[in-house]
Amino acid sequence: MTHDQVRQLVRRINPIPDPGILESVDVSVLDMERSMEMQVDERPTAEERREHRWRGPVVGIAATAMVVIGALVYFQTDQDPVAEPAPNATSLDAVEAFEPLAPGAYFADAGETSSIRGTFVVEGSEWLAWPPHGTEMDNSVSLLVVEVAEVYTSVCDADNALVAAGSTAAALANQFASNGFIVREPVAPVTAFGHEGHKLVLEVPDGCYDELFPVWSGGVFQGRHYQGAGQVVEYWFLDVEGTPVMVEASHFSDTSEENVAELQAVLDTLVITP
Amino acid sequence: MGSQAEQRSRFEDIWNDHRLQVLAYCLRRVPGPEGEDACAETFLVVWRRLDAVPPPPRTLLFIYGIARKVLANQARSFHRRDRLNQKLANLGVSPPADPMHLVVQGAEDQQVAQAVRRLKPTDREIVRLDAWEELSREQIAEVMGLTRAAVDQRIHRAYQRLSRALQPLIQPSHSPPVAEEGVT
Repeated sequence: MTHDQVRQLVRRINPIPDPGILESVDVSVLDMERSMEMQVDERPTAEERREHRWRGPVVGIAATAMVVIGALVYFQTDQDPVAEPAPNATSLDAVEAFEPLAPGAYFADAGETSSIRGTFVVEGSEWLAWPPHGTEMDNSVSLLVVEVAEVYTSVCDADNALVAAGSTAAALANQFASNGFIVREPVAPVTAFGHEGHKLVLEVPDGCYDELFPVWSGGVFQGRHYQGAGQVVEYWFLDVEGTPVMVEASHFSDTSEENVAELQAVLDTLVITP
Repeated sequence: MGSQAEQRSRFEDIWNDHRLQVLAYCLRRVPGPEGEDACAETFLVVWRRLDAVPPPPRTLLFIYGIARKVLANQARSFHRRDRLNQKLANLGVSPPADPMHLVVQGAEDQQVAQAVRRLKPTDREIVRLDAWEELSREQIAEVMGLTRAAVDQRIHRAYQRLSRALQPLIQPSHSPPVAEEGVT
């Protein structure tokens, strides 16, 4: 069966092939009462909040080939690798969404009002500035720095609840460790990116990913969700002068060894400054 | 930002130009009152974010992007309710059917719909934008917040999966389905 045949089959089940048939449906947005309500409602919407918090996290994705590889390569260097951030860094805000990052140093803040900054160096050529509404590509790696505001307590369950993020790195780490994902490496003390904190490695289980299963919110992310079963997510929860900050690095089971190594190279340059 | 009258006029233009397409988008994914509510909610967001709405031809794509998130929020609520319903069902109480599962009723079409539903949510939405809204790959990328390359990759993979799942529907005696006239 050709893709065009499949497309025709899908097109055939289009429940509303002609929007014109909806002429008689009253959606009631434009009636005066609702309109007046809209005119006085100045509360920021979720969309606006996301837009306003657009600036902030370090989000990069390198995407190329595919080969299965273990994640141990970059689990080995938890010591503080760099004492000072790279000089002459460029704000990630200056890069358009989906645009490739030219080799060099970049920085981004951990939230719109956060003074905490992540500075890192990109040497490879396939890193992209990734918007929070974007969907990570298969075989990619990603990195972000963020102040987490809220976490979901039981990601895969109906009784899931959104609660305030822990006020310390340890508390935040423990919240993540009990959220229902597979624990690949339990919470353990660590010194990384210039600060002390706790590290945790989780694996996304089957059936608990995509838009229906947000895991946390904070920074520009209204509801950070992951992309598929087997996605491995490394978390560093750091106490940065009393503020818990999360560094998140992820890859897929079929991410190439080269991309994982490239992620590690960037992590090796990452410095978090208050 | 323009005057209140200018804003209202612009919103009304957007409403008149795109209301039916956005309503169709919502009702294709969630029929009935829930779909209509999603459409209304989408336009409320449009009103509140009027200054961020790009000019044509990107206006509709921007609104589709909002509608997608509104529907995702709605689905998330429904999903959690559905889990609760399952628990109720285990206690002998019949929960209401998922409205997203009532979109298509035909027997053969049900197989197609089921195969589409089994796709990952992102892939499923890409297929729908391609087959139902008939957007170009570039337009799909804009609505979904993906690169064009990612859309190409995902659409190829999704149609491959659908092709395998729907192979029994295409037999030698089975003439290939023909596109309906006037499909938009």
